Amino acid sequence: MDLVLFVVLLILVAIAAGLVGSLTGLGGGVVVIPLLIIFFGASVPIAIGTGFVTILATSSATGAAYVRDRLSDIRIGMFLEIATVPGALVGATVTVFLTHANLESALLIALGVVLFAIIPGSLARRHIELPAPQPQDARSKMLGLTGEYHDEVLDQDVAYRAARTTPALGVMLGAGAVSGMFGIGGGVFKVLALERFLNLPMKVSTATSNFMIGVTAAAGAGVMLAAGYVNPILAAPVAVGTASGAFLGSRLLPGLRNRTVRLLFLPVIAALAIEMVLRGFGLP
Amino acid sequence: MTPDEPAVIEPPRVHRLPDEAYTRMTLVLRLGLGISLAVLLGGLVAYVLAYPGTSSQSVLAHNPILSYLSLSGLGAGLAAGSIGAVLTLGLIVLVATPIVRVVSGLYYFRKVGERAMTAITFTVLVLLLLGLLVIGPHIR
Repeated sequence: MDLVLFVVLLILVAIAAGLVGSLTGLGGGVVVIPLLIIFFGASVPIAIGTGFVTILATSSATGAAYVRDRLSDIRIGMFLEIATVPGALVGATVTVFLTHANLESALLIALGVVLFAIIPGSLARRHIELPAPQPQDARSKMLGLTGEYHDEVLDQDVAYRAARTTPALGVMLGAGAVSGMFGIGGGVFKVLALERFLNLPMKVSTATSNFMIGVTAAAGAGVMLAAGYVNPILAAPVAVGTASGAFLGSRLLPGLRNRTVRLLFLPVIAALAIEMVLRGFGLP
Repeated sequence: MTPDEPAVIEPPRVHRLPDEAYTRMTLVLRLGLGISLAVLLGGLVAYVLAYPGTSSQSVLAHNPILSYLSLSGLGAGLAAGSIGAVLTLGLIVLVATPIVRVVSGLYYFRKVGERAMTAITFTVLVLLLLGLLVIGPHIR
């Protein structure tokens, strides 16, 4: 393929991925990585390395608004990063070792399976604005894992406190490993832990997950970049396109961020996941 | 109180960093993303103009980043005006943006005297640098 066409197509795909990823909350990586492998001929580790670039661009493009609006709980996010960052370092290291051992097809199958796993997770979100209060555990009290934000829709100040920090740390370790291994944000798993274990309000969970995704991705991206698994000619158009798409998604079409968009989008992810698994097994 | 009745829970005491911390972190994100995208876009346009006949297969087969992963290699590349070095710099700024955000978190937790959160944030920072400076180069 001609270079100009290649770059233009990459930018267009990345804009679409950033747009859809920000509207559904799934991030751009779940679309970009399979498409890079299937349609652009990228190797699995290079596609994963580029996946981190999409996460970093999306997270920074949308994260600034969350931090500005005080929805992102930096204290809780930083506390949980103590689990997601080592998880991501281990995950990215495993990916590099699997690549060195010529086990890219195993990586491809695992990636397809993880994409499938995201689908029920993204549909199972509770969408409860304000959860019933639960007692703070000792660790949460010690670290002061509480906060408050002004809810524009409910027109009230909402105070919250983090509960059950131990299982939340466990889930975050796993979420970090998945993110580090496959170059995806893993926001579905993070939001699940923030909502269901820490018992945070939905808006705080989403914004804090976004804050954490950026830091977790920096851990995985650091390993993959330093190990030489990010191709800048591939990553540059993807970064520019994803950031533009995510910015558009968060500014122009907030009304579309609902279950319908997810339901339309999830079959696409399912089809890509099937293709990845089939390729992993060497089937056409 | 019967087991079905919810426990009475006192309203939480809200812990929050100073407003300045949120303003600075927003600035870090915007600046980091803006600089990295500007560098990446500039490098990309320069690459397309410099190598119009290159095929996508050639792009995928030759990863220029490998020459610029050391500080000396990147410095020499930038001094020589290498487009690969410019693109690598853009990627490094993109990866560094969340790390700088952690550094600013460390600064503010320390400033308000929160020892436990300062220790946690410092540990996260050390782990991030470990991945970038030790683990990645070691397994290359």
